[in-house]
Amino acid sequence: MSGAGGRVRVTSPQTRVALARRHRPAQHLLPLPSPDSGADTEAARALFRRQRRLAARTLGLLGGLLLGLSGLLWLLPAPLSWVVLMVGSYPLLLVIAVCHVRAAERNEDRAP
Amino acid sequence: MTSLLAIGLLLGSSVIIGVYGVRAARSTPDFLVASQQISPGWNAMAIAGEYVSAASVLGLAGLMLKNGVGSLWWAVGFTAGYVAVAALVAGPMRRSGAYTVPDFADYRLGSRAVRKLCAVIVLVIMWLYLIPQFKGAGVVLHLVSGTPYWVGVVLAGAVVSSSIAVGGMRAATYVQAFHYVVKLIFIAVPALVLLVRAGGEGRELVLRVDAGAWSRPLLDLHGSGQPLLATWSVLLATTLGAVGLPHVIMRFHTSATARIARRVAVWVIVLLGLFYLFPAVYGLLGRVFAPGLITEGHTDQVTVVLPGAMVPGVWGAVLTALVAAGAFAAFLSTSSGLLLALAGGLSHDLSRSSVPRLRLAVAAGALVAVGLSLPAERVDINVLVGWAFAVAASTFCPLLVLGIWWRGLTVPGAAAGLIAGVCAATGAALASVVTGPHPGWLTVLLAQPAAWTVPLAFAVMAGVSLLTRPPEWAERALLRLHIPQRAAGDG
Repeated sequence: MSGAGGRVRVTSPQTRVALARRHRPAQHLLPLPSPDSGADTEAARALFRRQRRLAARTLGLLGGLLLGLSGLLWLLPAPLSWVVLMVGSYPLLLVIAVCHVRAAERNEDRAP
Repeated sequence: MTSLLAIGLLLGSSVIIGVYGVRAARSTPDFLVASQQISPGWNAMAIAGEYVSAASVLGLAGLMLKNGVGSLWWAVGFTAGYVAVAALVAGPMRRSGAYTVPDFADYRLGSRAVRKLCAVIVLVIMWLYLIPQFKGAGVVLHLVSGTPYWVGVVLAGAVVSSSIAVGGMRAATYVQAFHYVVKLIFIAVPALVLLVRAGGEGRELVLRVDAGAWSRPLLDLHGSGQPLLATWSVLLATTLGAVGLPHVIMRFHTSATARIARRVAVWVIVLLGLFYLFPAVYGLLGRVFAPGLITEGHTDQVTVVLPGAMVPGVWGAVLTALVAAGAFAAFLSTSSGLLLALAGGLSHDLSRSSVPRLRLAVAAGALVAVGLSLPAERVDINVLVGWAFAVAASTFCPLLVLGIWWRGLTVPGAAAGLIAGVCAATGAALASVVTGPHPGWLTVLLAQPAAWTVPLAFAVMAGVSLLTRPPEWAERALLRLHIPQRAAGDG
């Protein structure tokens, strides 16, 4: 941000953060990023509620997968079931996360 | 000797990459811009590099050798944590502009007192997490050079705090990303060689499934006889603990926007899933080729001991050197990240900050961690890491989740929930060490308390918040976390 040519002090992100934090404005007192009329606040509330429903759904799927898979392995001690543990968990975790991110981005795109 | 050389080369190349990264950053007007030009792939590698600790490289294989294939649930939980991070905190935390959890508490609640309380809890979690890292370093150095355990721990403390002080960790992102690659290759290649070396008959023995408890794909803690409860408690701690780990949260601010922060979390899942295939190999092979470690009670050594036990001569030494360097990279990257987060808390959130103080805080933090690690030689690495995750899951997870997704959170509610969570989780862990044998379910609830401390912390935080009134700006502070900041390219 300072002019080109001048030397700039370079520190690690963490050091910089630790040193700079005390001068940050209290962001919660700033207005919302979009013009803060009544209609915009209503739209922001709607977006927030959609995202919260999505987060709850994802968390439900995640809990269902982990508790369900471990419960299943407890009920049916099948041979080689540690293979089920590994093959059944990692790909599904990735699918749940990708679906969440796509849906969350769609929600944000639809917001005004 | 080869192993010491490999560890020395690793240290040297980390410093070179650190210095080079600083020079790369100097060519742009502002380090912040530079750090935001880092692609999501590099960023994800850096996060995975910092996250894959001694618990993953040494602890997981050791625990598997000791307790059976159910220990793989630890790795599933460590990975599942990033699904929760992507869904619950990555985007909103980036938008809040808060770099640390105390910062977030300040932003969302506007309370200095909660900020200080959070800083104290950061110290508790970081120290709990540092002990197993130093233990891992002590074990590795003991195995490759024969020095006593305590010499290894003290040496590791000196190495990591001086590498931070010299500034070798400055270009943190590139060094951490490099460490991820080191860990993956140095653990994966020996694992594949050993699998080939085991031969057809050996592999058959390794893959043998018997009716015994070892082959049961569920966790058990201290032979409690409650595998389902133990598995669920560990899953709760590891999945929700990742949401609240201070040094994990800290790394998301290097993403340019909230969207990218979320995508980075997804890439981390891919990288962790790939890495966690390999510690399992050491656990499975160790049961057949190094069963002596179980009776000696040194199961945490299996990853380093196994190559020498299976491959004689020079090649065995080379493989041991690779694995030892990989384990040391795990120790170095994780404990550097932990120490920086801890020093930030000590020097900034609890007193006035300056660079000399930050350095002093790093040294003080390392000194305490070394002191705590010396008596921990016989405690399993993963048990200690599990406690750090349980405390994070019972304190910062409810604070962040309720703070981001519920406008009703208040200062008294947050404070009460944090205090209840940290007291319950650390108290239970302490009780499991000092008190004698208990009935099965009580053993689980003390040794891995997340199953009851997480619901307790959520309930206290929400309950006390309902009895008090949030300020009128609370809704605005909440909505700001979810609105795309289009001017910043977010959305």
